[in-house]
Amino acid sequence: MEVWLRTWAILWKDILIEVRTKGTFNAMAFFAALILFIFSFAIGPDFDLLRRIAAGLLWVGITFTGLLALARTYHSEELAGGLEALLLYPGEPRAIFLGKLVGNLAVLLLVEVILYPVAAVLFHMDLTGKILPVAGIAFLGTLGFSVIGTFYAALTLHLRAREVMLPLLVLPLLVPVLLGAVSATAALVDPAAAGGVAGWVRLLIAFDVLYFVVCTWTFPVLLER
Amino acid sequence: MAADPALRLQGVGKRFGRTWALRSVDLEVQPGQLVALIGPNGAGKTTLLKAVGGLHRATTGTTEVLGFTLPEDEDMVRVHSTLLPPHGYLYEQLTGLENLRFARLMAGVRPSRRELDAALERVDLVEAGDERVGGYSSGMKKRLAIARLLLRPVELVLMDEPYASLDAGGIDLVDTIIGELRGSGATVLVASHRWERAIREADRLVVMERGRITWTGTPGEWMEKREGPADTRRGRSEARGADEGDTGTGG
Repeated sequence: MEVWLRTWAILWKDILIEVRTKGTFNAMAFFAALILFIFSFAIGPDFDLLRRIAAGLLWVGITFTGLLALARTYHSEELAGGLEALLLYPGEPRAIFLGKLVGNLAVLLLVEVILYPVAAVLFHMDLTGKILPVAGIAFLGTLGFSVIGTFYAALTLHLRAREVMLPLLVLPLLVPVLLGAVSATAALVDPAAAGGVAGWVRLLIAFDVLYFVVCTWTFPVLLER
Repeated sequence: MAADPALRLQGVGKRFGRTWALRSVDLEVQPGQLVALIGPNGAGKTTLLKAVGGLHRATTGTTEVLGFTLPEDEDMVRVHSTLLPPHGYLYEQLTGLENLRFARLMAGVRPSRRELDAALERVDLVEAGDERVGGYSSGMKKRLAIARLLLRPVELVLMDEPYASLDAGGIDLVDTIIGELRGSGATVLVASHRWERAIREADRLVVMERGRITWTGTPGEWMEKREGPADTRRGRSEARGADEGDTGTGG
């Protein structure tokens, strides 16, 4: 019970700060849409090609946008004086990870609510009748992304070159998640794509569970100073 | 039989990279004592308080706090102790009330509005409770951090520069609160540059320099050591006048 109260405290605090500053969401939404527009203009009006690579372009957009969010995961604590701001209180330290994870997940999913329709229009993705399965895959992919990203954002918090180190450390670990998310999305939105969805979804779930267990379990080590 | 000490440090050292912030610190504090830590900037006072509060892990030595061993019982130490940090650790985009609510939720308690209002009233911040902390003066931020400290009754209170940024009323408030904490039986460690009432009336003064404890004794003994016997000191302290705020350690 106490874990959930602490998790809620962090989530509530971060949402309030985000609503008041609009620092992360607005920048992310604009950046994400911009990436998709650039891809669209760069590739040109080849609708078949766009449709074939739409899932990949979409997840590249989500990945780059997500990295922006991850870099700001502990921004409010940095302004308040450091992660120690969260260590003043007794209780399960994993609640800090869970609160930050849910916050990142929520912001990214909100951005995706804007991103998917934009991608559907720009890349001629047919989402008719597929919204729920596409949303489910988006959730699983974003969950894996957020788990790894929230963990490594804490790990790199005190590094001098963390803007560089965070993507360098996160992106290789995201390969299975991105592979699963892109392939499953492509199998759903591109009728010409080979292979079924189920296998990729199983891969996504497996890595989500693995990353969640390992990151949640080892997070307290990152707080040792 | 003597009671177990509230705090026992043996050979405690703390290294950040190549720099030793604490070097072989030995310190024992009895329950209910008020101990003042003084020393210049970089003496290791803050690091010592954070090591005792479980925010920093000692590189060497053993630390026992209220019968708990660090770092194994870190969470129990946090349950029974609280720290007033020098910079507040406050969220400027939240209001004063929201900062207090967050602190209570983080401690696993759903706070009532009355409880939060009472804490704000104690530090004379009720009217500013619904304003964002970003608009507070540094003195008001310090008062809010003190209100947060008072939300949780604990056995060990660690205060890092509690007088910094405060006006005369705020300084009196801190002295009163320290007196009340002592009265309730809490052990209080105060690191300060200012020679205020609570420091002058401490049970023990600990002087630190370059990460080491260089002197311990009573505040009276310290003044005598610094300025000579009482009869010659009187004349000098009158002449010193405005310099009263300094602890005389160079900081």
